[in-house]
Parts: sequence; structure tokens; C-alpha cells
Amino acid sequence: MSKIESIAYTVCRIGVGLSFLVLILTVLTQVLGRTFGSSPVWTEELTRFAMLYMVAFGAGLSLRSGDLVNVDVVCEAVPGKWPWRLRLIAAALTALLCGYLLAPAWKYVSIGTMQTSPAMTLRMDFVHFSVFGLLATLLLFSVFRIFRMVFAGEDGKADIREELE
Amino acid sequence: MGLMILLAVFVIGLVIGLPVAVTLGVSSLSYLLVMGIPPAVMPQKMYAGMDVFVLLSIPGFILAGNLMNRGGITERIIRFANSLVGWIRGGLGLTNVAASMLFGGITGTAVADAASIGGVMIPGMKKAGYPADFSAAVTAASSTVGPIIPPSVPMIIVGALSGISVGKMFLAGAIPGILMGLAMMITTYLIARKKNFPKQDWQGTSEISRAFGGAFWALAMTGIILYGLLSGIATPTETAIVASVYAMVVGLFIYRELPLIEIPKIVVDSAVSATGILLLVGFANVFGWILVSERIPQAIATAVLSFTDNKFLVILIINILLLIVGMFMETIAALIILFVPLLSLAVAVDIEPLHFATFAVLNLMIGLTTPPLGVCLFVCAGIARLPLTPVVIAILPFLFTNILVLLLVSYVPTISTWLPSVLMP
Repeated sequence: MSKIESIAYTVCRIGVGLSFLVLILTVLTQVLGRTFGSSPVWTEELTRFAMLYMVAFGAGLSLRSGDLVNVDVVCEAVPGKWPWRLRLIAAALTALLCGYLLAPAWKYVSIGTMQTSPAMTLRMDFVHFSVFGLLATLLLFSVFRIFRMVFAGEDGKADIREELE
Repeated sequence: MGLMILLAVFVIGLVIGLPVAVTLGVSSLSYLLVMGIPPAVMPQKMYAGMDVFVLLSIPGFILAGNLMNRGGITERIIRFANSLVGWIRGGLGLTNVAASMLFGGITGTAVADAASIGGVMIPGMKKAGYPADFSAAVTAASSTVGPIIPPSVPMIIVGALSGISVGKMFLAGAIPGILMGLAMMITTYLIARKKNFPKQDWQGTSEISRAFGGAFWALAMTGIILYGLLSGIATPTETAIVASVYAMVVGLFIYRELPLIEIPKIVVDSAVSATGILLLVGFANVFGWILVSERIPQAIATAVLSFTDNKFLVILIINILLLIVGMFMETIAALIILFVPLLSLAVAVDIEPLHFATFAVLNLMIGLTTPPLGVCLFVCAGIARLPLTPVVIAILPFLFTNILVLLLVSYVPTISTWLPSVLMP
């Protein structure tokens, strides 16, 4: 399981980085284009789509890193093993929500086959897929957390970033 | 019935520690299931919530701040702030506040400010003889000016929610942010005099100019951001990305403290941080849609207006509500959920949306330093290696000061609306 998680983690980080890079390069193309003439018409669309894919790849990572914030006043103050249990319940509920929404999200993806984006004439199912993707990565990383808590005895807390250590 | 389920699941989700975004999703889904509304509406509303042009600037501003932060600005800004105010009684405390004000013009996130400036200033202040609790408290309190002085992620969110220009929002926060910083400096000075905190020798104008020279490239980023937005030559997203490129160039070639090898990690971490916010926006859009379809904003407005239609009292009620919510809820989540319902109430008593948005953001920032959920409080107590209680006691004078500034900004609209009306008419 840890190997699968490690692969998923690497793939998602590469995906997030590439999506953000596309966003940055597209915006710079827009700025440079306008400075030296006229900017291409597709830049705004591509920027938005890149951000949506950045969210799709980053959703699970944000759960893992703690960027998906929670209110831990009560759940961390309860006695005994309850904080651990509540973290497990939270991970399970996250997985359940995302799992339940996958089918409706897929329906939303399929609706996109009937539409194309105005500037890039891209089929919108490719764009709508980002919502399916974010639910899928969030589901995946919440399942990883459940596994690590149940089978590896981990505490289920988010990773703390270096700068806050 | 549906509404009861929505609110009950929402509260239970928060209490058991479910991520706020997921809490919004679970409670919205419960409502949809109870009301027999197809859940297919959820992905659609999430998409619509995130696919907003203004939100594109969030990852860029986070990246610019992180690059600058890693690129060696902290010490330079602190040195410059110290050259200006370090010679006054309680000088290091004043330096701390001034550095936060300068830092706020670059990063715009309070936690980054608390961690970066606190990492240098808290040990430095302790070493110079300042009490550890005061050092942590002044760092935590002053870090809240970061998201008020432009650029500011909460202001971008408000722009996305209300349609107010992000440039106007940024400008509206400038004077209140500076006022808040100055008020905290006065508080620091009064405490320093009472407790006879140390002061440093005046180091002369040559030190000011040397320190300014060092900090110039970092401070210039604030100028670039404001110029980009005010001149109308760039959108907020373009400004944020140009600022990121600028921060990278400064870190790599001018300060030479940004390791090239770390840039991919900084880019990815910034994107993941932005994702946390954007997911919140996506799930909150479903929740917000339910609140609007249940006519909750109108119900809140009617309930309050049946009690009073006095503008003075309505502002007070909104502020008290936001202060209480800000104590228990994450700032951006609170903003996303409450902004639209309370805006209806504000507009009903003739409060200008720009003015309302400014004091609402200012109010929620105070929550970053109040127990039990003040993130900046935790960060600074951690750096000072103190339990939370002494820092909470030491921060009380600053909380009082910030609430006074909040009331001033709330009751004198010109403080927030004047600058946008002059520079972006």
C-alpha cells in the first residue's frame, strides 16, 4: 500500500506542478502578447482549465499536507483514543463523500461531450473531468490515510510543512 | 427539515474535525438527499464556484510570497524596519510590527508572516531581554495586518464572491492595514514604557539608507503589484504571475539566497496551498447556493431588521457575529459562508459593499489571534516554546487595540472607501 501511495503522491505532485506551470506560462504569454501586439484569444480559457486541473491533482495532496483545514478544538481535546477515532471517522467520511459523488461527477463529465469551449473549441468533458479528478484524488488520499491509521498504527494527522516546524 | 439537516450536519462535521471543505460537502449532500434534489447538482456547482477568473490570482500571489520568503527577504526587511524604529523604547517590538506591515505588502498571508518574522524576531527579542510571552504576542498580533495590506487572499475571495474589483478591494485595505499597524506600534510603545523594555542606539541615516538598499528589491514587489492593478495594464492574475517571476529573479540573481533546486518544491507546495483554498470555494459554492435558495440571506436581513434598522446597531451586530464566528472557524471558510448573507443585511441598511467587505475581512483577521482557533497564536507560542495561556494573556492589549481600529473602520467608511474612490474612480 505504501508503494501505491508513494506512486500516487509522486504522480499528483508532478500533475500539480505541470498544471501550475501551464498556468504560469499561459499568463506570461498573455502579458507578453499584449505588450508586443495582441495576446492570443485562448489564453484566458487555458489558464482557467490549468487551474482546475491543478485543483484536481492537488486535492488529495492538500488533505495530506493539512492545507485542507479543519477545526480541531474539540476533536483533539477529547480524552483517550477519541482524537484518533475522530480522525479516522473524518477520513472515512471524506472517502464516503467523494466515493458517493463520483457517479454524479461522471454524469457531469458526460454532459460536457455536448459542449465545446468557445476559444479553444476543446470538448468540455475534458474540462469537467477535473471535478471528477479532484473527488478521485481526495478519495484516494483519504483511503491511504485510513489504511495507514488502521494497519500501520499512525496517528492520522496531516503532514506539517517545514516552515511551520 | 432540509435546512435543519444541513446545519446539524455542518456543526457535527466541524466538531468532529472533518476538513471544513468536506464538512460543507457532506452537509450539502445531506440536504440534497433529504430534499430529493439530484446530487448531480454538486459537481456542477463546485465547478462553477472554482471556475471564476479572479480566483486565478490566488496561486500566483501565494507563489510570489513563498519565493520571496525563501529568497532571503525576512532579515532584510527586519533590518530596514529596525533602522527606522529600533531606537525608540521597546524598539524590537516596534520593529516586529513595522516588519509585519512591510512583509504584508509582499506575501499577504498572516501565517507566513508569523512564522518567518517570528522565527527571527522572537528569539532575538528574548535574547535582548524582552519577555517571551510579549515577544510571541506582538508577533502574532502584528501578523494579522498581512492579509489587510495588499495583496490579500481574503480580499480576492471577497472580490470573487461579490463582484467588487480586486484592485478596489486591495486599495480599501491599505489605510485600515496601516492604521492597524500604527495602533499596534503605539500599544507596543506604551507597554514598553510601562515595563521599561530596552531600546537600541540611533544608528543614523546612513544605516537607514543601507538597510533600505538591502530591502529595496523586496519592497519593490508591493509597488509592482499596486502598479499592475491600479494602472489597469494587468489583471490580478497577470500581476500575481509577474510578481512571482520577479520574486524568482530577485531571489536567484539579486539576493542569491533562493536555491534553484528548491524552486520546483516551492511551486508545488504553493499550488497545493492554493488548492486547499479553491476546494473550499468549490464546496462552499454548493452550500452557498442552498442557503440562497432557502432565502437565508433575506431571512437574516429580515430578522435583524425586525429588531432594528439602525445602521449603527446593525454594524455592531455584524461585527459581534463575525468576531464570535472568527474565534471558532477558519477565516476563509467563515468569509465564504457568511459574506453573501451578511452583505444582504449590510446593503439593506445602506452600507456600501466595499466598506462592508473591508471591515468584514479586518474583523475575521482578528480571529487569527484569538483562542481557541488562532493559527498565528499557535505558531508564535510554538516558536517561543511557551504554552498558549501566557501568550493569550499577553496578546489582550493588542486584541483591544485591533478591535478599536475595527470599530473605527466600521463606523468611518471613508477610511476604506477614500483611496479606491481617488485612485480607481
